[in-house]
Order: sequence, then structure tokens, then C-alpha cells
Amino acid sequence: METEKKTGPEGLEGKDPENAFALLIEEHQRLVYAVALRLTGNTTAAEDITQETFIAAWKHLKDFRGESSLKTWLLRIAANKARSYWRWKKLRNWVGLGKGEGAEDAPALEDLLPDRAGDRPEQAALAADLERRVQAAIALLPPRQREVAVLRAQELTMAEIASALGMAEGTVKAHWFEARKKLEVSLGEYL
Amino acid sequence: MNDDKEKKLISLMAVRRHDAFWQRQEKKILAAAAGRPSHRKAWLLAPAAALAALLFFTARPQTPAPAPENLVSTAFLEHLDMLDDMDVLEAVPENEL
Repeated sequence: METEKKTGPEGLEGKDPENAFALLIEEHQRLVYAVALRLTGNTTAAEDITQETFIAAWKHLKDFRGESSLKTWLLRIAANKARSYWRWKKLRNWVGLGKGEGAEDAPALEDLLPDRAGDRPEQAALAADLERRVQAAIALLPPRQREVAVLRAQELTMAEIASALGMAEGTVKAHWFEARKKLEVSLGEYL
Repeated sequence: MNDDKEKKLISLMAVRRHDAFWQRQEKKILAAAAGRPSHRKAWLLAPAAALAALLFFTARPQTPAPAPENLVSTAFLEHLDMLDDMDVLEAVPENEL
């Protein structure tokens, strides 16, 4: 889990802009990428969303007043971009351009490989299989439940999720309750 | 579901990648930021396109239909680029605007 607000806007002040941007990416890229990947189920889209999220946030950092945390602001941008991705997919399907596209694309095996070379083939295969199953289970959730579950999976609190998605905390709790029941059914063998 | 199961579920849903993956991604973001404007994925313009379509249809009754050659004007494209920031603006809480 990312540590809350180690790199807030105030933490970036006085730093060389390029270093400050690199610091912002280092601090939050795992979180943003994970959310983008779980929301789209597509590694290419997740990389694009991550890239666009950081570039957009950096461009607008001066407008960010810190009333919400930088982390939830970044996640809100990423979630909005994931929604755009689905709107685009829907539009493409509607006009008949989406036919024949694979529903998801799998992560490259080398990205899933563990560091210890001796464990590689078996562990990579297991990791890839688990990745597919988890992604399939998440894809079965309705959009709002999926967003809540994906942010909860990043160990965000209910309040942080509410802030990132612009929902009431009670709504977040209800969505998480429903989502985890469904995920328990889909992924029961691993729990 | 008990807390233990919830923890396992959260752990299952985590995204794990090599250090090399994160380093590569960071470099790509920095390079993209330095080299803007780069090619854009079509879906990144989805919110802009939606708003542009809305503006087009709501403006239709008041204005005569433009000649086909004027449909994609420079102003329209600039407008799209400006609207690309919608994802960010939508992310700013109302009380911060």
C-alpha cells in the first residue's frame, strides 16, 4: 500500500521540477497502475491511463489545493480516465468497430516473473493464471461495485474511497458489501 | 465474510510487478511528459468527444448546418485538446474550484 501523502504538493516545493515529477511518479505509480489495470482489465490501457494521469496531474498541480489528499485526487483522475475508456469501448462496439477485439490483454509473462530465477516457470504460470481469474471475477462486478472493490483492494479506507469516487461513505460500504460477497463466490477456492 | 477472508481477498486483488516494470513505466511517463504532444489514444478523447457532440447537437437549432468542408475546423480540434483536461477538472471537488 502506498503511504499517504509522502509526496504532497508541499513536499514537492523547492525541488527541481523534473526530480519532483519523478518523485511523484515513484510514490504513486503502483497504486495508479493497479487501479487502472483492475478497472480496465487491459494492460495497454492501464499503462496509458497511468501515464495520462500523472501528466494531467502534474499539469494541474497548481490548481490542487490539498483539501483532499494527493493520493485520492490521482485516483479520481485515473478512475475518470477508466470510465472514459469504457465509454470509448461501448461507442466502438455500438458502431461495430469493436468486433474481433480481445476482451482483455494479458500482462507480459516477464513482468509477472519472480526475482529468483529458479522459481520462474512454475511461479510465472501460476501468477498468470491467478491474474486471469482475479481479473475475470472483478469484471463480473457492476461498474460502481468494481470501482469500490478495486480501490478497497489498494487498502484505501472507506472515507478515502468515498473521496476518490465522489460517493457517500455509506454508499461505498454498501457497494463493498455486495462486491465482496460476489468476489467470495468467484474466488472462493483461494480464500 | 470475516476479516481474515477480507485480507486474503485484498491480497489476491493486489497487482504485483517486477521492479524493472516500474522503472520502465516511470521512464516512459517522464519521456512522454517531456515530449508532449505525443500521439493520443482515441479513448482518451472520449469525454471531449462526448461534450463536443453534445455542444454540436444542442447548438444545431440555432445555427444553420455548416458546409461539410468546415466540419472539422482548427477551432474544433483546439477545443478538443482543451477538453482533454475534463478528467482532471471532474476530479477536483466542487469546493476546490
